[in-house]
Amino acid sequence: MNYHFGRGRERLVPYLLLLPGIFFYLLISVGPSLATTVYSFTDATGIRGAPIHWIGLDNYKEFLLMGQASRDNYGALGRTLIFSFFVTTIQFALGLIAALAVNQRLKGSNLFRTLYFMPVILGAVIQGLIWSLFLYPMGGPMAKILSLFGAHSEFLGGQPVEAFAWVIIVQIWANMGMTMVIFISGLQTIPAELYEAARIDGANARQVFANVTWPLLTPSVNTNLLLNIIGSLQAWQLFLVLLGYRNGTQVLGYVIYAQGFGQTSGSVTSAFRQGYAAAASVVLFLLVLVIGMTVQTFLRRREERILGS
Amino acid sequence: MNTSLKSPLRLSKPVNWGRLGTYVVLLVFAVVYAGPLLMLVNTSLKTLPEFMKNATALATGLNFKNFVDAWNKANFPRYLTNSLIYTLSATLVYIITAVFVAFPISRRYVKGAGVLLTLFVVALFLPPALIPQFQLMLRLGLYNNPVGYVMLFLVNPIGIVILVNFIKTIPKELDEAAALDGCGYFRFVTSVIFPLIQPAVATVAVLHAIGIWNELILPTIYLTNKNYYPITRGMIVFQGVYGSNWPTLAAAVLIMTLPMLILFLFLQRYIISGLTQGSVKG
Repeated sequence: MNYHFGRGRERLVPYLLLLPGIFFYLLISVGPSLATTVYSFTDATGIRGAPIHWIGLDNYKEFLLMGQASRDNYGALGRTLIFSFFVTTIQFALGLIAALAVNQRLKGSNLFRTLYFMPVILGAVIQGLIWSLFLYPMGGPMAKILSLFGAHSEFLGGQPVEAFAWVIIVQIWANMGMTMVIFISGLQTIPAELYEAARIDGANARQVFANVTWPLLTPSVNTNLLLNIIGSLQAWQLFLVLLGYRNGTQVLGYVIYAQGFGQTSGSVTSAFRQGYAAAASVVLFLLVLVIGMTVQTFLRRREERILGS
Repeated sequence: MNTSLKSPLRLSKPVNWGRLGTYVVLLVFAVVYAGPLLMLVNTSLKTLPEFMKNATALATGLNFKNFVDAWNKANFPRYLTNSLIYTLSATLVYIITAVFVAFPISRRYVKGAGVLLTLFVVALFLPPALIPQFQLMLRLGLYNNPVGYVMLFLVNPIGIVILVNFIKTIPKELDEAAALDGCGYFRFVTSVIFPLIQPAVATVAVLHAIGIWNELILPTIYLTNKNYYPITRGMIVFQGVYGSNWPTLAAAVLIMTLPMLILFLFLQRYIISGLTQGSVKG
């Protein structure tokens, strides 16, 4: 590209102005990201000025192979997968249904879309607190609804499995709007002529969906599936707000945080096991990478089969 | 545009997936989404004894005492001010640096522009930076330091990608013409390009600001001094103390929610388009 704004020393101006942005990016994001692997082979703590030793694979051995702690880690690993599976599938299905309904453009559609999307921008603290109240066990709204059906729940204070299930529900409630708007933007790229043609050919609603909407929605399907899978494998903030660090409910993201920074926020003087936490982050990262790549490959093949090219 | 919007509707009339079914679906979702919010509002207007007696009964009147209590007890003015300072300063600095990164990359005015852009896209697939980032801040003496905390938010790769793509739609002839008129690079970017990319800047700024405002983990890790807490962290502390006093807690949550809600209602278009663009590109 021809540069018009001068030569010689003046040619350096764009480089100079580019530097601050790149500098912060490398310093705060890329550098630390790459260093995570390095730290995972050390016994680093959160203590300022404490020496750091190279300990090889010890963190990984401890994380994966040693006694009760590693059994707990496998528990967290399993819960991470279960959490991700339910969140992804349910959020995907509900997001699609909501998008199809909103996209009918009936009166009030925009209002509904705004309402469903709103939790996305509220953040984990507000989402979590709103639901803690809604799940108030002593006569709160959800307790009353359940009692109509003769059911009862201790909600977030109940058995770990029960509390865990409620976090899944809140997570879906909080993020369904995002899935929905991606589907809506996909639906709007489908040419109206195709619906017209299908109608002339006498297709019913189900046939239109199966032969026009669903195949042409493939790009949004792929985006949503990948985003939901990767997002839910790494999500844990709602666990922090809704449950705290509770045995039998932790997912990997929360384990990393708890090991690296202590279970509660606190003083930096306690010996936080940051090397160990770094090893756990690498494990989570590899899990996300393997699952993400596998799904991506599968989705790409499916896309080629459906859309050609 | 109009016909394309209307045709699915016309199509749906003869088949049984009609208006009615759609409205039922919309309303069911609406109840699930509005329910928890209405419960929050209702609770914030009740007294504690009223709440204990019957948690779901409608508030008998407009009782704003909870809001006054929350405002005074929760140290809200301080937390809100902190959040505002962090969000505005980090977003401002980020946007300025981001435009000067995105423009030359988009125009290929710097060598290795393609590599740089790839660097920003790849970031989305790197391991989390949490631990080494903490070690770095500790060594730099920026732990429990508001300036260090703001520094953590000077990065947002998706924003760069959105800006680069938007700048591509600005004709390159403009650069040449401005240069011929003797306009320098810095002035060109700040006074010609910047106004032209306002929509993209607004989108990126709003997304970035929301992320900072809602951040809970980083203040939990990096800030120990209560005077530095942003509203998210302050809210968790408040919950710890007033956790059983739901009317006051609900009022506090509402106070914290309102700024975001208002922002969202006004800037919805930018937020949604930014998020969908970012996700599709990413």
